[in-house]
Amino acid sequence: MIGFLARRLLSALPVLFVVSLVSFVIIAIVPGDVTAEIAGSDSTEAQRAEIRERLGLDRPMVEQAVRWYGRLLQGDLGQSYLLNKSVTEAVLERLPITLSLAAIALVLAVMLGVLLGILAAIKHDSWLDQGSMSIALFGLSIPDFWFALILISVFAVGLGWLPTGGYVPASESLIGWARSMTLPALALAITQMGVVARMTRSSMLEVMSQDYIRTARAKGMRRHTVIFKHALRNALVPIVTVVGVMTGVLLGGAVVIESVFSLPGVGRLIIGAIQRRDYPIIQGGLLITAATFVFVNILVDLAYGWLDPRVRDGR
Amino acid sequence: MAKTGRLGRARHMCLAAAAAAFLGLSSATALAQTAGGDLVVVQSSNPPSLDAMVTSSQASRNITMNIYEPLFGFSEKIQPIPILAESVEISADGKSYRIPLRQGVKFHNGKEMTAEDVKASLDRYVKHGATQSMLKPVEKIEITGPNEVTLTLKEATPTFLEAFASPRAPAVIIPAEEASKGPNEIEFIGTGPYKFVEYVPDSHVKLARFEDYSANEAFEGIDGFGGKKTAYLDTVTFRVIPEPGAAVAALETGEVQLLEQLPVPTARRLASNENIEIYENMPWAFLTFIFNMKEAPGDNPKFREAVQVALNNEEVMAIATEGLFQLYHGWMYEGSTYDAGDVGKEYYNLADADRAKALLKEAGYNNEPFSILTDSTIPEHGKAAVVIGEQLKAVGINAVINQVDWPTALNIRLQDQGWNGWTLMMGIEPYLGPAALISTLTGEAPHFRANDEQLDALYKELIATDSVEGRKAVFAEIQKRLYAFFGVIKVGETGLMQAARADVKGFKPFRFPRVYDVWIEKE
Amino acid sequence: MAVEANADNAAILRQEIARARRRGWMLFGRRLARHRSFQVGFALFFVIVLLAVFADLIAPYDPNKNDYRSLLAPPSMAHWFGTDGFGRDIMSRVIHGTRVSLGIGISVVVMTGILGVFLGMLAGYVRWLDNVLMRIMDGLMAFPGVLLAIALAAALGPSTMNAVIALTITFTPRTARVVRSSVLVIRELPYVEAAMAVGAGHARIIFRYILANALSPLIVQLTFVFAVSILAEAILSFLGVGPPPPAPSLGNIIAEGRNYLQDASWIAFFPGIAIAAAVLGLNLMGDGLRDVTDPRLAAERGAG
Repeated sequence: MIGFLARRLLSALPVLFVVSLVSFVIIAIVPGDVTAEIAGSDSTEAQRAEIRERLGLDRPMVEQAVRWYGRLLQGDLGQSYLLNKSVTEAVLERLPITLSLAAIALVLAVMLGVLLGILAAIKHDSWLDQGSMSIALFGLSIPDFWFALILISVFAVGLGWLPTGGYVPASESLIGWARSMTLPALALAITQMGVVARMTRSSMLEVMSQDYIRTARAKGMRRHTVIFKHALRNALVPIVTVVGVMTGVLLGGAVVIESVFSLPGVGRLIIGAIQRRDYPIIQGGLLITAATFVFVNILVDLAYGWLDPRVRDGR
Repeated sequence: MAKTGRLGRARHMCLAAAAAAFLGLSSATALAQTAGGDLVVVQSSNPPSLDAMVTSSQASRNITMNIYEPLFGFSEKIQPIPILAESVEISADGKSYRIPLRQGVKFHNGKEMTAEDVKASLDRYVKHGATQSMLKPVEKIEITGPNEVTLTLKEATPTFLEAFASPRAPAVIIPAEEASKGPNEIEFIGTGPYKFVEYVPDSHVKLARFEDYSANEAFEGIDGFGGKKTAYLDTVTFRVIPEPGAAVAALETGEVQLLEQLPVPTARRLASNENIEIYENMPWAFLTFIFNMKEAPGDNPKFREAVQVALNNEEVMAIATEGLFQLYHGWMYEGSTYDAGDVGKEYYNLADADRAKALLKEAGYNNEPFSILTDSTIPEHGKAAVVIGEQLKAVGINAVINQVDWPTALNIRLQDQGWNGWTLMMGIEPYLGPAALISTLTGEAPHFRANDEQLDALYKELIATDSVEGRKAVFAEIQKRLYAFFGVIKVGETGLMQAARADVKGFKPFRFPRVYDVWIEKE
Repeated sequence: MAVEANADNAAILRQEIARARRRGWMLFGRRLARHRSFQVGFALFFVIVLLAVFADLIAPYDPNKNDYRSLLAPPSMAHWFGTDGFGRDIMSRVIHGTRVSLGIGISVVVMTGILGVFLGMLAGYVRWLDNVLMRIMDGLMAFPGVLLAIALAAALGPSTMNAVIALTITFTPRTARVVRSSVLVIRELPYVEAAMAVGAGHARIIFRYILANALSPLIVQLTFVFAVSILAEAILSFLGVGPPPPAPSLGNIIAEGRNYLQDASWIAFFPGIAIAAAVLGLNLMGDGLRDVTDPRLAAERGAG
């Protein structure tokens, strides 16, 4: 197990290198200038030049890159131009919001998806099957941010049950937090719910057609027992494999959902930083988000290796 | 209210302030204020900085003007009044400004404000202030007493005090030890009625009542940026909600109490809601269209004239402001001191396609692309650009929209190439008066890139003229000149809609949301 | 397919393969035409394509015509989908919006296809490049979701072209992976080994044998790239880094409508339906293609 972990961590290194390189290059191609934003719209060229010099923006690109990597190796992602704090601090204090949003959405997607999938599989070829799969397919096809707007229109504006946006920290009010996360998580979950539902259905159908299930039923085991004890357990294994991919999609989707619901997560931080030309935040935000994603994938691999020893020993 | 004649001229400030204190019969006591509570104010964007003097962003000003105070600021009637200064005494040659300070004023850190703090703050402004040109006439800043500073100007500048009182990037007073720090590196310590608690970007800025606030007893109530301020609320939260829809819904449910701005159609809908009070500020800003006079085709005055006569200002304004606008050709608000009357009216809101086409022909326009720079951050900018673009296409101009975000737009428009026209709302400049407005069109970096020599000369004359009558005459010439070379088009005047819960009392709309002298009425 | 490797039989072999392939395609086509969800998806998508192609004829108004006398008008006989904050007809904008969205989608598909095939082939065929290329692809894929596309589009500046570039860079790695894995399988197949043995040139082997056989998983993948591009374009426009206004891109219309959720909810509603219809059509078609070409892959539907 340790060897497997080490191998996985090692193989993440080149990925992280490419990630850091891309994060740097993106900034290099950005037009516009942070100095106008810092100094104000009516600042003079001299003032802006002074800020450029202070921030090292007047140096050649290669030198900026060397400095970026030099600091990166010491774990220093630099200082935000505008937030008055270090990038690491700024990103890490928002990461929990993004991660919890993605996590709730993941749980919702899996729960709802598995439910739809089971319904469809046990009532194979019935209207329930078709209905569930239509919902799943619809979930896959609608833009999640648009769905978010519809949810806001209905549940926040229309019915007034839930807030239209904004974030309440759990430390302040647990109920407030849950209320502020419900619609965003639902909007974010919809797409992946579709994915899970379809996967559950097809793997359930496959498992249920296999000999041992048929044997179990033939031996007089109750249908429910067969479905939930045997079929479902085996059908869920493939879902674990896509949790990594799903996490990625959810983290990416959270960027947009956060800005629809005004949640102060990493996504909104990055988008705000793009608008404000806060280069270090963009770089650091991209880097940390990608690194989180890589790390989650390693965890998923570990979990999978634990479930299925062939993965960890073989390959 | 004994506001009339309180501070007509800066020179009489000392006297007038005393008179006001005498005349002041309390108006504030008529209503029973309740202390306590948290007021949640919503604005659409993050303050780029809470270091008040380094930024001229309105998102910052909205908050910082409740935390910090300058020596002088504008009254409700746009006259400079003392805030942290006691008064000002101007020497006969107009070069020396002796400024006694109010005594016993405490900073949020508990220390008392001294002349050292004031000098250090002004020195910092000279170095880092976002509108440092306001201190350009100043030769030296000296401490001339434990509670007094004296500013010596290089030459007599009649408009100095008005410029110095400008709230754009206010010259606020902070403790000397903070003033030695670089931009955005200070602790946010001021003398205002509310003190800074925390800033969580993309979420909120929290302020709390400053219990030791030293109110300015020379006034009997708030007046513009100054006056006697009272903090009733325990805390104030400035929440950042970029989406107007979300902000409005939060107001409707009572999650928040005050919207710094809301869409006009929404305001109309909410007008019938008895839980919500709508505040209409009209006029609030100029919407302008600025040419790059260094780049073809905008370098040709005939071409610019063609655009001027082609524009259907009413359509642009109706769409850009969602119906909250007024049309006026003047470069100062109608009926205000410097209003130049009918000068230039014959060029305004013509929508004359034939004349525009003829002018384009005369200009030798040959379908060169005309790139309109605008941003998505301020909706009026983007919408106006789209409508202007369509109108110009209709007269045969090859208009293309370049919509970027606000910082990028600010950067692009500082370059001589890469843009031809730019939409800009001028909120604070027309409010501050002719000098503030015209200074953006002249000098080192005029909005339209190339200098118009006549306009530059008129601006110099304007700021050197010592009488209002004289300045009015100069300003009429300026307006005439603006309608002769067409470097910038005044599209129209926009309003601003604000809204608050009905239980929010004492709120008086102004250039920033004043959260002092505001209280929440308890049922 | 058991084939004997013999230089003299090369011509017959080629004919055999060609015939088999033709038979395969015909069978493929027939099965596809009978596939229920493919039929539905195709019909749906075909309608959207018609709207996009004949937008000028179908749309009742000029999509960019402003009318300040009818701002934010609710749906009516004159304006079936209502009007927006410029007084523009939403229905006309949505119809023209499908053109923008499909245009971007197809551009991304073509560019992703070309780049993906090139890189996938290179990685699968040139062994020593495999590692380097795949690590770069992994690095690009490590940015979750469309975050990379958003950052790239924002960095390059909002324009249709830049949106296409950003989306192509984002979706190419996955496509390259699909191509690479089919190349790795195909190059071990007996008839490809046979072709190598008879001394066919690299170009010939790549185009004639490998590419032709990697085609079906590629088509399936590109169908989904098309669908995801339409969704991603909407996201970019929604965040203001897509085609600049007044372009009636579907994401732009939703972004406009977001400010009027309470006062004019129709603005955001209709373009969302149009996106859903286009994406649904493509997803259904993709499902059909996948079922017909490789039923085993059906388990992973939508995960790409």
